[in-house]
Amino acid sequence: MVIILLAVTQIKGKAQDALSTIEQTIADIFEQYQQEVEEELDFNNFLEDLLFVAENPIDLNRATREELEKLPFLSDIQIENILYYLYQFGPMQTIYELQLIDGLDMTDIRRMLPFVVVHPLKKENPKLYWHDLLNYGKNDLYIRLDRKLETKRGYLSISPEKNSDVSSKPYLGDPFYNSIKYRYHFRDKIYFGFTTEKDPGEPFLDKIQTNYDFLSGYLQLNNIGKFKTIILGDYRANFGQGLVLRQEFSMGKSSYVMNVIPRGSGLKKYSSTDEYNFFRGLGTTLQLGNTEISAFYSNKQIDGDTIQGCFSSIYKTGYHRTSNEFKKKKTVNQQVVGGNLTYYFPHLQIGATVVHTLFNHFLEKEETTYNHFYFSGNQQTTGGINYRFRWKKLNFFGETALSNHFSWATLNGCFFSPFSLLDIVVLYRNYSPDYDTFYANAFSESTRINNEKGMYLGAELRPIKNWKFSAYADSYRFSWVKYRVDAPSFGNDYLLQVDFSPSRMVNMFWRLRYEEKQENLSQDTSIMSFVVPLRKASLRYQLNYVAGNFSFRTVLEGNLAQKSEEASWTYGLTAYQDLSYEFRSFPLRLDFRYQFFDATSYENRVYAYEKDVLYAFSIPMNYGLGSRYYLNLRYKFNHQLSCWLKFAQTVYADGRTTIGSGYELIQGNRKSDIRFLLHYKF
Amino acid sequence: MKKHFCLFFVLSFSSLIFSQISYIVPSSASIANTSVSNTHEWTAFQNPAMLGYGENSEIGLQYENRFLLSQISTSSFQALIATPVVNSDISLSYFGYSFYHEIIGAVGFGRNFSNKFSLGLRFNYYAAYFSASNSYRGILFPHLGFSYRFTPNFSIGCSAFNPFQMNIKTETAEKQIPSVFSIGSEYYFTPELIWLTQLDKEISSNYRIATGFEYQMLKAISVKIGAYTAGYLVPCLGMGLNFGNLKLDFNAELHPLLGLNSFVALRHSFRK
Repeated sequence: MVIILLAVTQIKGKAQDALSTIEQTIADIFEQYQQEVEEELDFNNFLEDLLFVAENPIDLNRATREELEKLPFLSDIQIENILYYLYQFGPMQTIYELQLIDGLDMTDIRRMLPFVVVHPLKKENPKLYWHDLLNYGKNDLYIRLDRKLETKRGYLSISPEKNSDVSSKPYLGDPFYNSIKYRYHFRDKIYFGFTTEKDPGEPFLDKIQTNYDFLSGYLQLNNIGKFKTIILGDYRANFGQGLVLRQEFSMGKSSYVMNVIPRGSGLKKYSSTDEYNFFRGLGTTLQLGNTEISAFYSNKQIDGDTIQGCFSSIYKTGYHRTSNEFKKKKTVNQQVVGGNLTYYFPHLQIGATVVHTLFNHFLEKEETTYNHFYFSGNQQTTGGINYRFRWKKLNFFGETALSNHFSWATLNGCFFSPFSLLDIVVLYRNYSPDYDTFYANAFSESTRINNEKGMYLGAELRPIKNWKFSAYADSYRFSWVKYRVDAPSFGNDYLLQVDFSPSRMVNMFWRLRYEEKQENLSQDTSIMSFVVPLRKASLRYQLNYVAGNFSFRTVLEGNLAQKSEEASWTYGLTAYQDLSYEFRSFPLRLDFRYQFFDATSYENRVYAYEKDVLYAFSIPMNYGLGSRYYLNLRYKFNHQLSCWLKFAQTVYADGRTTIGSGYELIQGNRKSDIRFLLHYKF
Repeated sequence: MKKHFCLFFVLSFSSLIFSQISYIVPSSASIANTSVSNTHEWTAFQNPAMLGYGENSEIGLQYENRFLLSQISTSSFQALIATPVVNSDISLSYFGYSFYHEIIGAVGFGRNFSNKFSLGLRFNYYAAYFSASNSYRGILFPHLGFSYRFTPNFSIGCSAFNPFQMNIKTETAEKQIPSVFSIGSEYYFTPELIWLTQLDKEISSNYRIATGFEYQMLKAISVKIGAYTAGYLVPCLGMGLNFGNLKLDFNAELHPLLGLNSFVALRHSFRK
């Protein structure tokens, strides 16, 4: 009985550790990334993959590189070291052997524990039987409902005297967000699922929109004979370093300074709610000995502002709230065909990827200086060769790609671990201004993979027990003008992070970042804008501690920004306290945060990752003066049914009487969100 | 009328240069008002998490004479009830004069969890008298507090007074209630010498940075020295007298522009 209780406690603890580790990883990686891209990020697949690994831990003694790459907090050197240890000493007898592996400190091991085992939990029968699929397959149903409590301008009648006329409201639908997700999986063999979504303001079940605005579904079969993967429906494709094709998140600059190359190659089911970035059709990967061959075809309608058989841009937000947005819906047909061939040798991996895209309309961009080299036309072919090889202590990686008119891009780098306490990575990239392809997503400063050359140097040092020093320096140059930068420009970015983990219950870090890049400065007196340096320095102190069923996080962050040499420095400050508590005798967990922010200038804006209902994410950007707080509750009715509820509110104290702009404008100084999610497992 | 006009002028002027608009929050017995992480001292209307560290029930009175003006001085009463499960307090404070005055009443709860950390929550009811309408207007708002003890010598604390920025709205005006976010640390060099630091931000006012040392010279006497800045650097001095169950605290600060601010607190504890 005692053993059962202990096991249950351990599993429960592990599940909680997994979620905490995932949340911390997302915060570490995406907070900085969000700051750079300033668009809504899609973490769904990232979270789904990690939750799957938490439920089906990796057996370290049989782990492949591909499996270990699913753990984003491990660097490539650490993965190499784990594999090398297993190769050198054979299977591990206990999980404690992880401490003997070079380059893994206690923080890394603690992060790994929820996701790995030394022996498989149970032996799997490789054969498939219908009754196994029905009886042992896992089903998950998620129903989510969100709403902002304040009324946005888009929901108000434009002409007050015509209040009764519903069509006079700019937004055609109601302010509720709703999504339904169904997932089925049988081990790692079969995945099936569908997703429906309605964004706030979109019409639903009426004359304009008779069902959900977004519908998506997939069926993925793994390891069926020679077929490693067969996918039907919606999926994503990722190959090489991302210069040709990567639709999932690609690692970039973050406090995980060694994690600079993307993880997880191949074709993968698409289960998120992003309405643009996926393929719809058929894909397959064939494994023939050391060779993998992938081929895929996609045919889907995408949104564009089509006029007289041409369109000037692809509309990627997925919002269809107003009649103008509705007119853009599914107006362009996009067909994509492509493939990848990868050879695996003991110390070498080499692959080639080709993608061809065909539109039924001509993409004719609105010509400006910054987009002079952007793609125009109705078809594009991109191809690239990628490699990885190990030579002694050096791990080389890279990819070189060509697109239409022989525009090119190359990325090459090397990991090096001169001794076990130190890891170094060097990465050089050079993307020509005219290299503009639709699905590239590789290491870069900007979101578009073109018009950039730069050198990145990262290092991680573990000189003393419980201490870790991470640093990177990145220097980059844009040889052509960019959006809001009317001249060739350059920039430098530096980060230093010191982690200290005195015990299992307490850890903290100090993160110092300095960035200098160039931007346009528009002044009333100048005829045209001129380019000036924008400097920003930030310092964050974060403290995490656990005491019994309580866990706490205290964060203090300050930044300074200067726009142009003559301008004065402006500051931004934020401080917040998180408190989480899981009741012992009651299946309720609560997360509470109170945050204060004081960042009067947009350049000083601050970001903070928030806990949320499952599969919802928020890293809200705050600037101005005010406070924000949220309460996130999770209640488990039983082992099948659970629900989440979150309430968050931002209150500004800088005298503003409205928040936002355009149809998103809210009257008052408060904005409030409420979210609800129901999860049913069967 | 002349008196009221002068008073109005002084109040307006002091509110401009005295960084915090948090008059209504009575000061604490901690030097330079560094109470947010002061684990050995509980004061009404300060970090409610400190309630959790209280070992004995207490009752006390305090008076703060702000810049030698009785009209803007605060008088407070406080009582702590210590129980094995949760400690609670009741407090009341008055500030103002017949034509305008403010009253806060509060009931708080705090608990110390295994001497590792303490959590506190206080419900404040604030009421102001508006002579124009000859009526009181009030509002209820919380005060959240937290303190974490890293080691027996070092702890941090933070609190949020009126975290949701509740204000009183009348037909003619809006009365802003201070919303104060505080964070600070406490360090014991020796059991007799404590170093306290604190950063306060009232949402519409300047930052206030404060630090102070408290030294227990003799069993019955302690001295305090500190300073805070919020535009002006304000030196602070204080003294504590301990007569068994009775404790008397004197604090004084000298604002370079507004002058002397003095504070006295008398407390009686009911030792178990």
